[in-house]
Amino acid sequence: MNIQFLNQNEKNKITEKLKEQFGIEKIPFNLIKIGQERIMAISEKIKKEEIEKIQNIAFIEGIGVYFAKEIENEIRLSIEGTHLLKEQISKNIFELNEKQAEQWMQGNELNLSTGKKGFIIIKFNDDFLGTGKASENKIGNFIPKNRRLKAREFNYQYLQ
Amino acid sequence: MGKINYLPKPLFLERMQKLFPDKKDFENYMEILKQEPVRSIRCNTLKISPENLKRRLEKKGWKIKQPFKEFPEIFIIEGKYIRSFQSLTNKNKSTNTNSQEDLALTKFSRKIVRNADLEPYKSSSISESNLMNLEPGELGRALEHLLGYYYVQEIASMLPVLILKPKPNETILDLCSAPGSKTTQIASEMKNTGLIIANEIKLGRVKILATNLQRCGVMNVIITKKDGWFLCDKLKKENFLFDKILIDAPCSGEGTIRSSPKTNLMWNIRKIKSLSGLQKNLVSAAIKVLKLRGELIYSTCTHAPEENEEVADYILKKFPEMKLEEIKLPLKIRQGIIKWENREYSKEIKKCARIYPQDNNTEGFFIAKFRKIK
Repeated sequence: MNIQFLNQNEKNKITEKLKEQFGIEKIPFNLIKIGQERIMAISEKIKKEEIEKIQNIAFIEGIGVYFAKEIENEIRLSIEGTHLLKEQISKNIFELNEKQAEQWMQGNELNLSTGKKGFIIIKFNDDFLGTGKASENKIGNFIPKNRRLKAREFNYQYLQ
Repeated sequence: MGKINYLPKPLFLERMQKLFPDKKDFENYMEILKQEPVRSIRCNTLKISPENLKRRLEKKGWKIKQPFKEFPEIFIIEGKYIRSFQSLTNKNKSTNTNSQEDLALTKFSRKIVRNADLEPYKSSSISESNLMNLEPGELGRALEHLLGYYYVQEIASMLPVLILKPKPNETILDLCSAPGSKTTQIASEMKNTGLIIANEIKLGRVKILATNLQRCGVMNVIITKKDGWFLCDKLKKENFLFDKILIDAPCSGEGTIRSSPKTNLMWNIRKIKSLSGLQKNLVSAAIKVLKLRGELIYSTCTHAPEENEEVADYILKKFPEMKLEEIKLPLKIRQGIIKWENREYSKEIKKCARIYPQDNNTEGFFIAKFRKIK
């Protein structure tokens, strides 16, 4: 696994983009990059030297949590990325209704006009449901297959 | 659809009778194996509090029980409420031409009724007669599960980590970590700080582990894929030491027969003997990377003494720096046995914990807690 530990400067650049996109001020954990795009979040105790030490011992199959992807100078947060920073997300949030949330979690793109362009945070009630890409009349969906709801499983039968 | 019943092999039954010399105890054991396992989940406190999760699941109509006051993250799902079977039956009779479904409903079948057939219920209509079982797989398909708010985990499987008591900022080795139930539990206790090395030897299982760690938002983990013995040897050479180590060892799985009757088919005594050797090697290797005063939890989901007390006894005799400690748990446990067939183990082995299905309505488990004292 090709692991690149992001230094403070590189982390600051990502924070700046996240501030611009979603109003996020601070990333309270370390970041590493795997390959060209994937950014992983790791606890602050895991230092560069520690990773290198383990790499000398065994091939690292995985590290931390997949946090975001850097795509064409923009950041697309993963579901966990939105969970980790949910307290700070204040911009470009699009709230879905129950029916839309069900479709979203089934992995469908939504034929909706949000009035925004680019990456937006998808939310339903208190749940952050990852990031979508808004264009004129639709929101592109990035929910991975193993996180999708099967049809008929969105069971919001709340007590009345 | 019923489960295929795999009958236990005669030698297995003979051995279990030796473990339960009291006839009633053995009968209780055999009886509980026939019962559906309790459905339990563990709240992932990295993402949601037990109070919030409970509130959400109850709003879905699930009946939740928190069996241990001191561990509010452990939930038992006792079923889900629907408005009433009677109203469903009437509704389906008038709208559904599928005679098979009608028949099933009139028989109060608990399995054929699907989510879409269920109607929202009013709080005033809740009664135990409206309670039905969750569908098979329903726990794993719920939105809350997909978002990583809980982990489907048998209660007995949660116990080793309750004894390990991980603390924030510790360095912990989880030597046989897939599919990740205990690794995610450790991460929750550590509040996503410190470092967990989660090792797994099989590639397919590494992928499942990685998926579960991602879903639960675990940031403090590095996954390796190595033979556990080899990994510890290398770590030792780099002087990479751990505060705590969990070895939830590969085992014959006798304790899981209730939920996985297929274990009966695969059970054989030669496998138990060979696993015992592997388990001794794993623990021996791990001791070398444990810090002074560090703790090592050895656990299996089997009852076979060769894989349990014999391994613990071997460690005590071979490594004088290792001491067994008493285990306290909020459910009924039995002491480790000190005599099995023609072998006698150290009396210290009584400090180990045997968890039997008939004692707590769980799966079976074995846990030993060691400390490195010099």
